[in-house]
Amino acid sequence: MKTIMLVCAAGMSTSLLVTKMKNAAQSKNIEADIFAVSASEVDDILEKKKVDVLLLGPQVKFMKSQFESKLADKNIKIDAINMQYYGMMNGEKVLEQAINLIEDK
Amino acid sequence: MQKLIGILENKMAPIAMKLDGNRYVTAIKDGFFGVMSLLIIGSFFLLLGNLPINGYSQFMSSLLGKNWSDYFTVPYDVTMNIMTLYVVIGMSRSLARTYKLDSISAITSALVAFLLLTPMLELKDGVFGIPVANLGPSGLFLGMITAVVSVEIVRFIDKKGWKIKLPDTVPENVSRSFSALIPTLFVIIVFNLIRIIFSFTKFASVQEFIYHYLQVPLLSLGSTLPATILITLFEAILWFFGIHGSNVVSGIMKPIWLALTAENAEAFGAGQPLPHIINFQFYSNFMKVGGFGGTFGLALLMLIFSKSSHYKTLGKLAIGPGIFNINEPIIFGLPIVLNPMMIIPFIFTPIILAVVAYFAMATGLVPYTNGTNIPWTTPPIIAGFLVSGWKGALLNIVQILISMVVYFPFFKSADRMAKKQEEEQSAA
Repeated sequence: MKTIMLVCAAGMSTSLLVTKMKNAAQSKNIEADIFAVSASEVDDILEKKKVDVLLLGPQVKFMKSQFESKLADKNIKIDAINMQYYGMMNGEKVLEQAINLIEDK
Repeated sequence: MQKLIGILENKMAPIAMKLDGNRYVTAIKDGFFGVMSLLIIGSFFLLLGNLPINGYSQFMSSLLGKNWSDYFTVPYDVTMNIMTLYVVIGMSRSLARTYKLDSISAITSALVAFLLLTPMLELKDGVFGIPVANLGPSGLFLGMITAVVSVEIVRFIDKKGWKIKLPDTVPENVSRSFSALIPTLFVIIVFNLIRIIFSFTKFASVQEFIYHYLQVPLLSLGSTLPATILITLFEAILWFFGIHGSNVVSGIMKPIWLALTAENAEAFGAGQPLPHIINFQFYSNFMKVGGFGGTFGLALLMLIFSKSSHYKTLGKLAIGPGIFNINEPIIFGLPIVLNPMMIIPFIFTPIILAVVAYFAMATGLVPYTNGTNIPWTTPPIIAGFLVSGWKGALLNIVQILISMVVYFPFFKSADRMAKKQEEEQSAA
Protein backbone atom coordinates (compact mmCIF):
# COMPACT_ATOMS: atom_id res chain seq x y z
CA MET A 1 0.00 0.00 0.00
CA LYS A 2 1.37 3.36 -1.01
CA THR A 3 0.09 6.53 0.59
CA ILE A 4 0.20 9.59 -1.64
CA MET A 5 -0.77 12.99 -0.30
CA LEU A 6 -1.40 15.90 -2.66
CA VAL A 7 -1.18 19.39 -1.21
CA CYS A 8 -2.69 22.54 -2.69
CA ALA A 9 -4.10 25.86 -1.55
CA ALA A 10 -7.71 24.95 -0.85
CA GLY A 11 -7.86 21.32 -1.97
CA MET A 12 -10.47 22.00 -4.64
CA SER A 13 -8.87 21.57 -8.03
CA THR A 14 -6.47 18.96 -6.69
CA SER A 15 -9.33 16.67 -5.71
CA LEU A 16 -10.10 16.45 -9.43
CA LEU A 17 -6.62 15.15 -10.06
CA VAL A 18 -7.00 12.66 -7.22
CA THR A 19 -9.94 11.02 -8.97
CA LYS A 20 -7.90 10.69 -12.15
CA MET A 21 -4.95 9.24 -10.25
CA LYS A 22 -7.17 6.71 -8.49
CA ASN A 23 -8.51 5.56 -11.84
CA ALA A 24 -4.99 5.24 -13.18
CA ALA A 25 -3.92 3.23 -10.12
CA GLN A 26 -6.90 0.93 -10.49
CA SER A 27 -6.27 0.18 -14.13
CA LYS A 28 -2.63 -0.56 -13.35
CA ASN A 29 -3.47 -2.70 -10.33
CA ILE A 30 -1.49 -0.51 -7.97
CA GLU A 31 -2.72 -0.39 -4.40
CA ALA A 32 -2.57 3.20 -3.34
CA ASP A 33 -4.26 5.56 -0.91
CA ILE A 34 -4.43 8.91 -2.66
CA PHE A 35 -5.93 12.05 -1.17
CA ALA A 36 -5.72 15.84 -1.34
CA VAL A 37 -5.44 18.30 1.54
CA SER A 38 -4.92 22.03 1.92
CA ALA A 39 -1.52 23.29 3.00
CA SER A 40 -2.73 24.22 6.49
CA GLU A 41 -3.97 20.68 7.17
CA VAL A 42 -0.67 18.93 6.47
CA ASP A 43 0.61 18.91 10.06
CA ASP A 44 -2.59 17.41 11.45
CA ILE A 45 -2.72 14.66 8.85
CA LEU A 46 0.93 13.72 9.34
CA GLU A 47 0.32 13.25 13.06
CA LYS A 48 -2.40 10.72 12.36
CA LYS A 49 -1.21 9.01 9.25
CA LYS A 50 1.91 7.62 7.67
CA VAL A 51 2.50 9.15 4.29
CA ASP A 52 5.01 7.90 1.71
CA VAL A 53 5.08 10.83 -0.62
CA LEU A 54 3.91 14.43 -0.52
CA LEU A 55 3.22 16.06 -3.86
CA LEU A 56 2.76 19.82 -4.03
CA GLY A 57 0.39 21.41 -6.52
CA PRO A 58 2.22 23.91 -8.75
CA GLN A 59 0.36 26.81 -7.13
CA VAL A 60 2.01 26.07 -3.79
CA LYS A 61 5.35 24.93 -5.21
CA PHE A 62 6.96 27.79 -3.33
CA MET A 63 6.32 25.94 -0.07
CA LYS A 64 8.59 23.07 -1.07
CA SER A 65 11.68 24.14 0.84
CA GLN A 66 9.52 24.93 3.86
CA PHE A 67 8.11 21.38 3.91
CA GLU A 68 11.50 19.85 3.20
CA SER A 69 13.04 21.36 6.30
CA LYS A 70 9.97 20.65 8.41
CA LEU A 71 9.75 16.98 7.43
CA ALA A 72 13.46 16.29 7.18
CA ASP A 73 13.37 13.56 9.84
CA LYS A 74 10.24 11.82 8.61
CA ASN A 75 11.44 9.97 5.52
CA ILE A 76 8.75 11.42 3.30
CA LYS A 77 9.55 12.18 -0.31
CA ILE A 78 8.54 15.67 -1.38
CA ASP A 79 8.23 17.07 -4.85
CA ALA A 80 6.16 19.51 -6.87
CA ILE A 81 3.79 18.19 -9.52
CA ASN A 82 4.77 18.99 -13.07
CA MET A 83 2.69 22.01 -14.05
CA GLN A 84 1.47 20.73 -17.40
CA TYR A 85 0.50 17.33 -16.03
CA TYR A 86 -1.38 19.12 -13.28
CA GLY A 87 -3.17 21.46 -15.67
CA MET A 88 -4.15 18.67 -18.05
CA MET A 89 -5.17 16.57 -15.04
CA ASN A 90 -2.96 13.75 -16.26
CA GLY A 91 -3.48 11.25 -13.43
CA GLU A 92 -1.33 8.58 -15.00
CA LYS A 93 1.78 10.75 -15.26
CA VAL A 94 1.44 12.16 -11.75
CA LEU A 95 0.95 8.66 -10.34
CA GLU A 96 4.08 7.60 -12.17
CA GLN A 97 5.95 10.51 -10.62
CA ALA A 98 4.76 9.52 -7.14
CA ILE A 99 5.71 5.84 -7.59
CA ASN A 100 9.14 6.77 -8.90
CA LEU A 101 9.73 8.96 -5.88
CA ILE A 102 8.71 6.21 -3.46
CA GLU A 103 10.81 3.53 -5.11
CA ASP A 104 13.81 5.79 -5.10
CA LYS A 105 13.84 5.60 -1.28
CA MET B 1 13.65 36.64 -21.35
CA GLN B 2 13.90 33.20 -19.74
CA LYS B 3 16.69 34.49 -17.52
CA LEU B 4 14.71 37.53 -16.44
CA ILE B 5 11.72 35.35 -15.61
CA GLY B 6 13.97 33.06 -13.60
CA ILE B 7 15.29 35.96 -11.56
CA LEU B 8 11.81 37.34 -10.95
CA GLU B 9 10.53 33.90 -9.99
CA ASN B 10 13.22 33.63 -7.33
CA LYS B 11 12.24 37.05 -6.05
CA MET B 12 8.48 36.41 -5.99
CA ALA B 13 8.53 33.08 -4.17
CA PRO B 14 9.88 34.49 -0.89
CA ILE B 15 7.33 37.34 -0.96
CA ALA B 16 4.49 34.91 -1.46
CA MET B 17 5.89 32.66 1.24
CA LYS B 18 6.13 35.53 3.70
CA LEU B 19 2.59 36.67 3.02
CA ASP B 20 1.13 33.20 2.89
CA GLY B 21 3.06 31.70 5.78
CA ASN B 22 2.63 34.67 8.10
CA ARG B 23 0.89 33.38 11.22
CA TYR B 24 -1.46 36.35 11.49
CA VAL B 25 -2.48 36.07 7.83
CA THR B 26 -3.01 32.35 8.40
CA ALA B 27 -5.13 33.15 11.44
CA ILE B 28 -7.24 35.60 9.43
CA LYS B 29 -7.70 33.01 6.68
CA ASP B 30 -8.58 30.24 9.13
CA GLY B 31 -10.88 32.53 11.08
CA PHE B 32 -12.83 33.58 8.03
CA PHE B 33 -12.81 30.11 6.53
CA GLY B 34 -14.49 28.89 9.70
CA VAL B 35 -17.25 31.51 9.65
CA MET B 36 -17.86 31.35 5.91
CA SER B 37 -20.64 28.77 6.19
CA LEU B 38 -22.42 30.85 8.83
CA LEU B 39 -22.18 33.95 6.64
CA ILE B 40 -23.53 32.08 3.63
CA ILE B 41 -26.46 30.51 5.49
CA GLY B 42 -27.26 33.67 7.43
CA SER B 43 -27.32 35.87 4.37
CA PHE B 44 -29.66 33.49 2.55
CA PHE B 45 -32.11 33.84 5.43
CA LEU B 46 -31.81 37.58 5.02
CA LEU B 47 -32.50 37.28 1.30
CA LEU B 48 -35.58 35.10 1.92
CA GLY B 49 -36.91 37.68 4.34
CA ASN B 50 -36.45 40.48 1.82
CA LEU B 51 -37.02 39.11 -1.67
CA PRO B 52 -37.40 42.15 -3.92
CA ILE B 53 -40.55 40.86 -5.59
CA ASN B 54 -43.76 42.87 -5.67
CA GLY B 55 -46.38 41.37 -3.41
CA TYR B 56 -43.94 38.96 -1.76
CA SER B 57 -44.23 40.61 1.64
CA GLN B 58 -48.05 40.62 1.56
CA PHE B 59 -48.10 37.02 0.39
CA MET B 60 -45.80 35.88 3.19
CA SER B 61 -47.70 37.74 5.92
CA SER B 62 -50.98 36.22 4.75
CA LEU B 63 -49.29 32.83 4.90
CA LEU B 64 -47.27 33.08 8.13
CA GLY B 65 -48.78 35.99 10.06
CA LYS B 66 -47.57 39.55 10.42
CA ASN B 67 -44.39 38.63 12.32
CA TRP B 68 -43.31 36.43 9.41
CA SER B 69 -40.09 38.30 8.71
CA ASP B 70 -38.77 37.45 12.20
CA TYR B 71 -38.71 33.82 11.11
CA PHE B 72 -35.93 34.79 8.73
CA THR B 73 -34.21 37.74 10.38
CA VAL B 74 -33.39 35.99 13.67
CA PRO B 75 -31.21 33.31 12.02
CA TYR B 76 -29.52 36.15 10.11
CA ASP B 77 -29.06 38.23 13.27
CA VAL B 78 -27.33 35.43 15.17
CA THR B 79 -25.04 34.45 12.28
CA MET B 80 -23.90 37.11 9.85
CA ASN B 81 -24.96 40.04 11.99
CA ILE B 82 -22.71 38.98 14.88
CA MET B 83 -19.94 37.63 12.67
CA THR B 84 -17.17 39.19 14.75
CA LEU B 85 -17.80 36.81 17.67
CA TYR B 86 -17.23 33.84 15.39
CA VAL B 87 -14.20 35.42 13.74
CA VAL B 88 -12.62 35.97 17.17
CA ILE B 89 -13.15 32.29 18.01
CA GLY B 90 -11.74 31.09 14.68
CA MET B 91 -8.71 33.37 14.73
CA SER B 92 -7.73 32.67 18.34
CA ARG B 93 -8.06 28.93 17.77
CA SER B 94 -5.83 29.13 14.72
CA LEU B 95 -3.18 31.13 16.58
CA ALA B 96 -3.37 28.76 19.55
CA ARG B 97 -2.66 25.88 17.19
CA THR B 98 0.29 27.69 15.63
CA TYR B 99 1.75 28.35 19.07
CA LYS B 100 0.70 24.94 20.43
CA LEU B 101 -1.31 26.48 23.26
CA ASP B 102 -4.44 25.11 24.91
CA SER B 103 -7.09 26.25 22.43
CA ILE B 104 -10.00 26.57 24.88
CA SER B 105 -8.15 29.00 27.13
CA ALA B 106 -6.94 30.96 24.11
CA ILE B 107 -10.49 31.21 22.75
CA THR B 108 -12.03 32.24 26.07
CA SER B 109 -9.29 34.83 26.68
CA ALA B 110 -9.83 36.32 23.24
CA LEU B 111 -13.61 36.46 23.68
CA VAL B 112 -13.24 38.10 27.08
CA ALA B 113 -10.82 40.66 25.66
CA PHE B 114 -13.16 41.49 22.80
CA LEU B 115 -16.22 41.79 25.05
CA LEU B 116 -14.30 43.97 27.52
CA LEU B 117 -13.71 46.51 24.76
CA THR B 118 -17.22 46.26 23.32
CA PRO B 119 -19.52 49.04 24.50
CA MET B 120 -22.66 47.97 26.36
CA LEU B 121 -25.94 49.76 26.79
CA GLU B 122 -27.95 50.18 29.94
CA LEU B 123 -31.64 49.84 29.25
CA LYS B 124 -34.23 50.88 31.77
CA ASP B 125 -34.50 49.11 35.14
CA GLY B 126 -30.83 48.21 35.20
CA VAL B 127 -31.09 45.76 32.30
CA PHE B 128 -27.81 45.64 30.40
CA GLY B 129 -27.28 44.66 26.79
CA ILE B 130 -24.70 44.53 24.07
CA PRO B 131 -26.10 46.08 20.89
CA VAL B 132 -26.06 43.42 18.18
CA ALA B 133 -24.35 45.87 15.85
CA ASN B 134 -21.30 45.99 18.14
CA LEU B 135 -20.71 42.29 17.53
CA GLY B 136 -21.21 42.66 13.80
CA PRO B 137 -19.13 44.13 10.99
CA SER B 138 -18.50 47.42 12.83
CA GLY B 139 -16.61 45.52 15.55
CA LEU B 140 -14.74 43.34 13.08
CA PHE B 141 -11.32 45.00 13.14
CA LEU B 142 -11.41 45.40 16.90
CA GLY B 143 -12.23 41.71 17.16
CA MET B 144 -9.33 40.72 14.93
CA ILE B 145 -6.89 42.87 16.90
CA THR B 146 -8.06 41.65 20.31
CA ALA B 147 -7.84 38.03 19.15
CA VAL B 148 -4.20 38.51 18.16
CA VAL B 149 -3.16 40.56 21.21
CA SER B 150 -4.86 38.34 23.78
CA VAL B 151 -3.40 35.12 22.37
CA GLU B 152 0.01 36.82 22.30
CA ILE B 153 -0.39 37.62 26.01
CA VAL B 154 -1.34 34.02 26.77
CA ARG B 155 1.68 32.85 24.79
CA PHE B 156 4.00 35.29 26.55
CA ILE B 157 2.95 34.03 29.97
CA ASP B 158 3.12 30.43 28.83
CA LYS B 159 6.68 31.04 27.64
CA LYS B 160 7.68 32.66 30.93
CA GLY B 161 6.28 29.61 32.68
CA TRP B 162 4.10 31.64 35.03
CA LYS B 163 1.42 29.25 36.10
CA ILE B 164 -0.03 27.66 39.18
CA LYS B 165 1.76 24.36 39.54
CA LEU B 166 0.01 21.51 41.30
CA PRO B 167 1.56 18.22 42.44
CA ASP B 168 1.63 15.37 39.89
CA THR B 169 -1.00 13.48 41.82
CA VAL B 170 -3.67 16.01 40.78
CA PRO B 171 -5.60 14.81 37.72
CA GLU B 172 -4.52 16.51 34.50
CA ASN B 173 -7.88 18.14 33.78
CA VAL B 174 -7.94 19.77 37.19
CA SER B 175 -4.43 21.14 36.89
CA ARG B 176 -5.20 22.38 33.40
CA SER B 177 -8.08 24.47 34.64
CA PHE B 178 -5.72 26.06 37.18
CA SER B 179 -2.93 26.64 34.71
CA ALA B 180 -5.29 28.73 32.57
CA LEU B 181 -6.00 31.07 35.47
CA ILE B 182 -2.91 33.27 35.28
CA PRO B 183 -2.88 33.96 31.53
CA THR B 184 -6.62 34.71 31.53
CA LEU B 185 -6.23 36.99 34.54
CA PHE B 186 -3.48 38.91 32.74
CA VAL B 187 -5.60 39.28 29.62
CA ILE B 188 -8.48 40.63 31.67
CA ILE B 189 -6.27 43.09 33.58
CA VAL B 190 -4.63 44.42 30.41
CA PHE B 191 -7.83 44.83 28.44
CA ASN B 192 -9.77 46.23 31.37
CA LEU B 193 -7.06 48.87 31.79
CA ILE B 194 -7.32 49.74 28.10
CA ARG B 195 -11.08 50.02 28.50
CA ILE B 196 -10.76 52.32 31.51
CA ILE B 197 -8.17 54.55 29.85
CA PHE B 198 -10.36 54.98 26.78
CA SER B 199 -13.40 55.81 28.85
CA PHE B 200 -11.65 59.09 29.74
CA THR B 201 -11.00 60.04 26.11
CA LYS B 202 -13.44 61.61 23.72
CA PHE B 203 -14.00 58.25 22.03
CA ALA B 204 -15.42 56.66 25.17
CA SER B 205 -14.77 53.21 23.74
CA VAL B 206 -11.95 51.42 21.97
CA GLN B 207 -14.39 50.02 19.47
CA GLU B 208 -15.33 53.51 18.34
CA PHE B 209 -11.68 54.52 18.12
CA ILE B 210 -10.64 51.51 16.01
CA TYR B 211 -13.72 51.86 13.88
CA HIS B 212 -13.05 55.51 13.04
CA TYR B 213 -9.29 55.46 12.69
CA LEU B 214 -8.65 52.02 11.22
CA GLN B 215 -11.74 50.31 9.89
CA VAL B 216 -13.43 53.21 8.11
CA PRO B 217 -10.25 54.34 6.29
CA LEU B 218 -9.37 50.76 5.28
CA LEU B 219 -12.90 50.03 4.13
CA SER B 220 -13.19 53.20 2.11
CA LEU B 221 -9.81 52.52 0.53
CA GLY B 222 -10.76 48.89 -0.18
CA SER B 223 -14.00 49.91 -1.81
CA THR B 224 -12.42 52.19 -4.42
CA LEU B 225 -11.94 51.13 -8.02
CA PRO B 226 -8.22 52.10 -8.25
CA ALA B 227 -7.34 50.02 -5.17
CA THR B 228 -9.27 47.08 -6.61
CA ILE B 229 -7.41 47.36 -9.92
CA LEU B 230 -4.06 47.52 -8.13
CA ILE B 231 -4.87 44.40 -6.11
CA THR B 232 -5.96 42.61 -9.29
CA LEU B 233 -2.66 43.49 -10.91
CA PHE B 234 -0.71 42.09 -7.98
CA GLU B 235 -2.81 38.93 -7.98
CA ALA B 236 -2.29 38.43 -11.71
CA ILE B 237 1.49 38.80 -11.37
CA LEU B 238 1.58 36.19 -8.60
CA TRP B 239 -0.44 33.78 -10.74
CA PHE B 240 1.91 34.43 -13.67
CA PHE B 241 4.70 33.02 -11.54
CA GLY B 242 2.57 30.02 -10.67
CA ILE B 243 1.82 31.22 -7.15
CA HIS B 244 -1.77 30.98 -5.91
CA GLY B 245 -2.32 34.73 -6.08
CA SER B 246 -5.93 34.66 -4.98
CA ASN B 247 -5.05 32.78 -1.82
CA VAL B 248 -2.33 35.28 -0.95
CA VAL B 249 -4.50 38.32 -1.65
CA SER B 250 -7.60 37.01 0.13
CA GLY B 251 -5.69 36.61 3.40
CA ILE B 252 -5.39 40.36 3.49
CA MET B 253 -8.46 41.53 1.60
CA LYS B 254 -11.13 39.14 2.84
CA PRO B 255 -11.82 40.99 6.13
CA ILE B 256 -12.26 44.22 4.20
CA TRP B 257 -14.41 42.76 1.43
CA LEU B 258 -16.56 40.74 3.80
CA ALA B 259 -17.10 43.73 6.09
CA LEU B 260 -18.27 45.67 3.02
CA THR B 261 -20.59 42.78 2.12
CA ALA B 262 -21.96 42.67 5.65
CA GLU B 263 -22.63 46.42 5.61
CA ASN B 264 -24.61 45.98 2.40
CA ALA B 265 -26.53 43.12 4.05
CA GLU B 266 -27.31 45.31 7.07
CA ALA B 267 -28.67 48.06 4.84
CA PHE B 268 -30.58 45.54 2.72
CA GLY B 269 -32.24 44.08 5.80
CA ALA B 270 -33.19 47.55 7.02
CA GLY B 271 -34.54 48.55 3.62
CA GLN B 272 -32.00 51.35 3.25
CA PRO B 273 -29.97 52.16 0.10
CA LEU B 274 -27.00 49.81 -0.32
CA PRO B 275 -23.72 51.61 0.50
CA HIS B 276 -20.98 49.75 -1.42
CA ILE B 277 -20.37 48.73 -5.02
CA ILE B 278 -17.16 46.84 -4.33
CA ASN B 279 -17.27 43.98 -1.84
CA PHE B 280 -16.63 40.25 -1.70
CA GLN B 281 -19.37 39.42 -4.23
CA PHE B 282 -18.24 42.13 -6.63
CA TYR B 283 -14.76 40.63 -6.52
CA SER B 284 -15.69 36.95 -6.71
CA ASN B 285 -18.78 37.08 -8.93
CA PHE B 286 -18.32 40.11 -11.17
CA MET B 287 -14.53 40.01 -11.64
CA LYS B 288 -13.55 36.36 -11.32
CA VAL B 289 -16.11 35.08 -13.82
CA GLY B 290 -14.92 31.49 -14.31
CA GLY B 291 -11.97 32.00 -11.95
CA PHE B 292 -9.29 34.67 -11.65
CA GLY B 293 -8.60 36.25 -15.02
CA GLY B 294 -12.26 35.96 -16.03
CA THR B 295 -11.37 32.78 -17.88
CA PHE B 296 -14.90 31.45 -18.41
CA GLY B 297 -14.91 33.08 -21.84
CA LEU B 298 -11.55 31.51 -22.62
CA ALA B 299 -12.82 28.06 -21.65
CA LEU B 300 -15.77 28.55 -24.00
CA LEU B 301 -13.43 29.67 -26.81
CA MET B 302 -11.32 26.54 -26.40
CA LEU B 303 -14.39 24.34 -26.32
CA ILE B 304 -15.91 25.83 -29.49
CA PHE B 305 -13.07 27.05 -31.69
CA SER B 306 -10.02 24.85 -31.00
CA LYS B 307 -8.27 23.37 -34.01
CA SER B 308 -5.38 21.79 -32.11
CA SER B 309 -5.98 18.67 -30.06
CA HIS B 310 -4.17 20.20 -27.05
CA TYR B 311 -6.69 23.04 -26.73
CA LYS B 312 -9.63 20.82 -27.62
CA THR B 313 -8.77 18.48 -24.75
CA LEU B 314 -8.10 21.37 -22.41
CA GLY B 315 -11.39 23.05 -23.32
CA LYS B 316 -13.35 19.91 -22.40
CA LEU B 317 -11.35 19.60 -19.20
CA ALA B 318 -11.64 23.25 -18.18
CA ILE B 319 -15.32 23.92 -18.77
CA GLY B 320 -16.62 21.75 -15.91
CA PRO B 321 -14.54 23.30 -13.10
CA GLY B 322 -14.86 26.68 -14.89
CA ILE B 323 -18.62 26.70 -14.30
CA PHE B 324 -17.75 26.75 -10.59
CA ASN B 325 -15.08 29.45 -11.03
CA ILE B 326 -12.18 27.01 -10.68
CA ASN B 327 -9.59 27.45 -13.39
CA GLU B 328 -6.39 25.68 -12.40
CA PRO B 329 -6.58 23.51 -15.55
CA ILE B 330 -6.35 26.67 -17.67
CA ILE B 331 -3.71 28.38 -15.55
CA PHE B 332 -1.36 25.38 -15.52
CA GLY B 333 -2.51 23.45 -18.57
CA LEU B 334 -2.69 26.19 -21.18
CA PRO B 335 -0.49 27.39 -19.46
CA ILE B 336 -0.89 31.00 -18.38
CA VAL B 337 2.01 30.59 -15.93
CA LEU B 338 5.23 32.04 -17.37
CA ASN B 339 3.48 32.58 -20.71
CA PRO B 340 4.39 36.13 -21.76
CA MET B 341 1.64 36.25 -24.38
CA MET B 342 -1.31 34.97 -22.36
CA ILE B 343 -0.49 37.15 -19.38
CA ILE B 344 -1.74 40.18 -21.33
CA PRO B 345 -5.44 39.17 -21.54
CA PHE B 346 -5.12 37.48 -18.14
CA ILE B 347 -4.32 40.86 -16.58
CA PHE B 348 -6.65 42.99 -18.67
CA THR B 349 -9.79 40.86 -18.62
CA PRO B 350 -10.48 41.07 -14.85
CA ILE B 351 -9.67 44.78 -14.88
CA ILE B 352 -12.04 45.41 -17.80
CA LEU B 353 -14.72 43.29 -16.12
CA ALA B 354 -14.27 45.29 -12.91
CA VAL B 355 -14.56 48.62 -14.70
CA VAL B 356 -17.62 47.51 -16.66
CA ALA B 357 -19.39 46.17 -13.57
CA TYR B 358 -18.42 49.22 -11.52
CA PHE B 359 -19.87 51.69 -13.99
CA ALA B 360 -22.91 49.53 -14.66
CA MET B 361 -23.66 49.76 -10.96
CA ALA B 362 -22.56 53.36 -10.44
CA THR B 363 -24.87 54.56 -13.22
CA GLY B 364 -27.77 52.55 -11.85
CA LEU B 365 -28.03 50.13 -14.79
CA VAL B 366 -27.45 47.18 -12.45
CA PRO B 367 -28.31 47.14 -8.73
CA TYR B 368 -25.48 47.00 -6.17
CA THR B 369 -24.87 43.53 -4.70
CA ASN B 370 -27.40 42.99 -1.93
CA GLY B 371 -25.06 41.51 0.70
CA THR B 372 -26.06 37.90 0.13
CA ASN B 373 -22.80 36.11 0.79
CA ILE B 374 -23.00 33.46 -1.90
CA PRO B 375 -20.07 31.01 -2.11
CA TRP B 376 -17.41 32.11 -4.60
CA THR B 377 -17.99 28.82 -6.45
CA THR B 378 -21.55 29.85 -7.43
CA PRO B 379 -21.74 29.58 -11.24
CA PRO B 380 -21.77 32.86 -13.17
CA ILE B 381 -25.22 34.15 -14.27
CA ILE B 382 -26.86 32.34 -11.30
CA ALA B 383 -24.45 34.30 -9.10
CA GLY B 384 -25.32 37.57 -10.80
CA PHE B 385 -29.01 36.82 -10.35
CA LEU B 386 -28.72 36.04 -6.65
CA VAL B 387 -26.79 39.18 -5.71
CA SER B 388 -28.16 41.76 -8.16
CA GLY B 389 -31.33 40.32 -9.69
CA TRP B 390 -31.95 39.61 -13.37
CA LYS B 391 -29.91 42.63 -14.39
CA GLY B 392 -26.98 41.07 -12.51
CA ALA B 393 -27.45 37.85 -14.49
CA LEU B 394 -27.45 39.89 -17.69
CA LEU B 395 -24.27 41.66 -16.59
CA ASN B 396 -22.59 38.26 -16.11
CA ILE B 397 -23.59 37.26 -19.66
CA VAL B 398 -22.21 40.51 -21.08
CA GLN B 399 -19.01 39.95 -19.08
CA ILE B 400 -18.56 36.45 -20.50
CA LEU B 401 -18.93 37.86 -24.01
CA ILE B 402 -16.40 40.60 -23.23
CA SER B 403 -13.89 38.07 -21.91
CA MET B 404 -14.33 36.00 -25.08
CA VAL B 405 -13.55 39.04 -27.20
CA VAL B 406 -10.47 40.00 -25.17
CA TYR B 407 -9.04 36.46 -25.12
CA PHE B 408 -9.93 35.64 -28.73
CA PRO B 409 -6.84 36.95 -30.64
CA PHE B 410 -4.45 35.49 -28.07
CA PHE B 411 -6.24 32.16 -28.02
CA LYS B 412 -6.33 32.05 -31.81
CA SER B 413 -2.61 32.54 -32.22
CA ALA B 414 -1.75 30.08 -29.43
CA ASP B 415 -4.09 27.51 -30.99
CA ARG B 416 -2.53 28.03 -34.42
CA MET B 417 0.95 27.49 -33.01
CA ALA B 418 -0.11 24.34 -31.18
CA LYS B 419 -1.77 23.01 -34.32
CA LYS B 420 1.38 23.62 -36.35
CA GLN B 421 3.49 21.89 -33.73
CA GLU B 422 1.17 18.89 -33.66
CA GLU B 423 1.35 18.58 -37.45
CA GLU B 424 5.13 18.74 -37.41
CA GLN B 425 5.27 16.09 -34.73
CA SER B 426 3.00 13.69 -36.58
CA ALA B 427 4.93 14.29 -39.81
CA ALA B 428 8.26 13.55 -38.15
